[in-house]
Amino acid sequence: MAEVEETLKRIQAHKGVIGTIVVNAEGIPIRTTLDNSTTVQYAGLLHQLTMKARSTVRDIDPQNDLTFLRIRSKKHEIMVAPDKEYLLIVIQNPCE
Amino acid sequence: VSQHITETASTCRVPKKLLAETKDILSWLNPLRESGNTNNIYPLNVCWHREVLLPLTMLTTRVNVPVPNKVKFCIVFDEQGKDVTPRPLYRPEPSASLHRQSKILSTQDFSGATGSDFLSSFSMHQTSGVNASLVGPFSRTYGSSTISKSTTSTTESMADEIKNIFIFTLFNLTDVQVRRDEIKEQLTKEDIDKRVDIYLTETETIWLLDMPTVMMSVESEDAEKVQERNKDYIELCKNKVGNDRFVERMMQTLNGAPKTKEVQCEKILMEDKGIMATSWDLYDSFNALEPMLTSSVTERSSRPTKSITSSSIIDLESVILARIHEEEKDHSEAILKSEKFQQDLFFMERILMENVFQPKLAAYRQLPVLLEEAEEGEEEEEEKKETVVSSSLLLDLSEAPEEILPPNLERLWSYTCEWTNGHNVSSMAWNKLNPDLLAVGYGQFGFQEQKKGLACCWSLKNPMWPERIYQCDHGVTALDFSLANPNLLAVGMYNGTIAIYNVQTHNTTALLDSSESFDKHIGPVWQLKWIEQDRGITGDDKGEILISISADGRITKWLIRKGLGCTDLMKLKRTASERKKLTGEKEKKSEALISRQAPGMCFDFHPRNTNIYLAGTEEGHIHKCSCSYNEQFLETYRAHKGPVYKIAWNPFSADMFLSCSADWSIILWRQDSVRPILTFSSTTNVVHDIMWSPKSAFVFAAVNEGRVEIWDLSVSTLDPLIVTFANPGVKFTTVLFARNTDCILIGDNNGIVSVYELRNMTASDSNKHLS
Repeated sequence: MAEVEETLKRIQAHKGVIGTIVVNAEGIPIRTTLDNSTTVQYAGLLHQLTMKARSTVRDIDPQNDLTFLRIRSKKHEIMVAPDKEYLLIVIQNPCE
Repeated sequence: VSQHITETASTCRVPKKLLAETKDILSWLNPLRESGNTNNIYPLNVCWHREVLLPLTMLTTRVNVPVPNKVKFCIVFDEQGKDVTPRPLYRPEPSASLHRQSKILSTQDFSGATGSDFLSSFSMHQTSGVNASLVGPFSRTYGSSTISKSTTSTTESMADEIKNIFIFTLFNLTDVQVRRDEIKEQLTKEDIDKRVDIYLTETETIWLLDMPTVMMSVESEDAEKVQERNKDYIELCKNKVGNDRFVERMMQTLNGAPKTKEVQCEKILMEDKGIMATSWDLYDSFNALEPMLTSSVTERSSRPTKSITSSSIIDLESVILARIHEEEKDHSEAILKSEKFQQDLFFMERILMENVFQPKLAAYRQLPVLLEEAEEGEEEEEEKKETVVSSSLLLDLSEAPEEILPPNLERLWSYTCEWTNGHNVSSMAWNKLNPDLLAVGYGQFGFQEQKKGLACCWSLKNPMWPERIYQCDHGVTALDFSLANPNLLAVGMYNGTIAIYNVQTHNTTALLDSSESFDKHIGPVWQLKWIEQDRGITGDDKGEILISISADGRITKWLIRKGLGCTDLMKLKRTASERKKLTGEKEKKSEALISRQAPGMCFDFHPRNTNIYLAGTEEGHIHKCSCSYNEQFLETYRAHKGPVYKIAWNPFSADMFLSCSADWSIILWRQDSVRPILTFSSTTNVVHDIMWSPKSAFVFAAVNEGRVEIWDLSVSTLDPLIVTFANPGVKFTTVLFARNTDCILIGDNNGIVSVYELRNMTASDSNKHLS
């Protein structure tokens, strides 16, 4: 548990990381470094996108599964580690 | 009349032949009847038959019609006990005529219908209201003999018929009543509720009239009479055609009046459900089916009726299970503690690092970095759109083959974290299996500065945090990864302890420790090496052994056999200078020795012949020894004036080796010559570490305290090719070449391991040998 906390702290303190969010399957944030409205927005939108991505991957080959999702935009990069029970989201600005 | 009726009903049989001829007679025969529905179970729509009749005769009671003898009898009651026995279509039909008489049923008229489909006949009935056809049932009742009667539809005849009917019905009723009582006793509640199976079968054909042909011999007595009769008959048939006595008459089938019955059922609930059947959904459900059947199903909570998401069995189950979990424990905590989450965090961190260090890593991997364009990614390297700082330089390189820049070291990144700050990097080793995994030992060299040491495993993918941190009580002075078991890391410490760690697990305690062993080292272990040795000579198993050299003057071989057992390979004896070597007594006299043994600083095994190795001592001597002899040295090379810190065989030219020492010099030796071949001294600093380049026979790197030097012997033997200075205050202590790339790792006394890229080095032929 302590290791998890430590790793989370390290990630949050990492260079360029704008925010870290951990939400459970129902969209309730467990850990977040952003404000609540942004967190909820991210969680909701990314949840849908993750489901769609997973569906896409599995439609092509049902034995395959989605492990990681990265969305690179102009301003920053959103990285999502999806799971059945939670979503780990990190937003990073890699330019700095 | 009633008798007559029954008689006719029972005895009227029409032979099949006659049936064909007397179609009109048959036309009024109930088609259903003909098909043999003698079980008397007719569709419910026939039951009107009885109901309609009764108002005239028996208003309240329901009547079971006595079935003609041949037909089976069955009763069907509905919930209220009402008799809803399907009534036969063909019924002694005085009743039929009765109902027609009543005005109640004026709407339900009959029309002639000879169709076999009874229902269709009903509709015909209702649409047409022909009264003339009403006659039909009358006639039918009375069989063929009543054909003549059927023509009359006068009231008198009707009256007669009604009378007849009355009698009949009365007869029926009495008959029926009795039967009904009988039946009532038998019927109980269970019988009503009981499921009754009704079988509809084709019934046997009822012969109404069967007159088989009788054969007689012509010569018999009655033959003549029969012949005459036959003749008469033939004549009769002939005469029939225009005869008044024979009238063709059409008959009608009896068509009952239809009755509409309304039935109301409970409201049928409709649910909308949308499902998207994706191929993975099908796959999941299919796979989940088998285990689901065996495992106990958890209670299902009610689901919303409208759901337009994919609903595989697994999803349902997992959501429900998740809900159950919620009740039991705090869900968010569970997530955080879950292993998958840890793993995800781990990956996330690496990916973050990758984003940050991407250009450096790309350079490490020697990927061509293009300007403003997508790179050709290789393995885990990702594309980056922004220009890379060093890309411009590399671009120049690739464009212009002539070297614009001299060979130099480009700093990429450094492995450092808060744990390692302030520690002195004492040794570095690559993992034999995974060339991206680096083990770094942190420990002070000097006696005064001793503090707790560290051994860290760093991965290329995460330069900011080590994968493993092993804290040791004493400074780490040597480490090496095993070749046979790439997960074993041997760590040697300042107090002489050797510990073996398994880097696969997250366990931070050592697998094996030599601190309990008898023959453990007393002095700091300055070098460790896993050597693959053929031990056929001594009879031991062929395999890998760990060899260590320490300041107590012993070179020991460690075996992992129920703990760490060791045997000495060699004891480094102090040897005086060459001149005095022979006289042992004189040694004692001239030198007051603290110990007979010389502290060993370093060793290196011959790359090809693992029986031969070189050992360097604090005295400055280099001894060539063999594993077979543990008493004597094969050769001693004396040239250094200070402790020999490192010895390295040239990986390409098997005869040459290099040694560096605290006397500011690096000496190149040849195996067979006791005199050095070349001496490199460029600084007045202690040379801590040297290493040959794995790519070229001529290149080696050396660190002395303030700078790192790359020597290329093919270019110059006097000056190093590249010199890079350390930051002021920082002393370089160790150097390591990377095997799979042109990079060099330099450790300093601040705990930082910097990765430098060797650039603009001319590609030297690795097959060349030093002459």
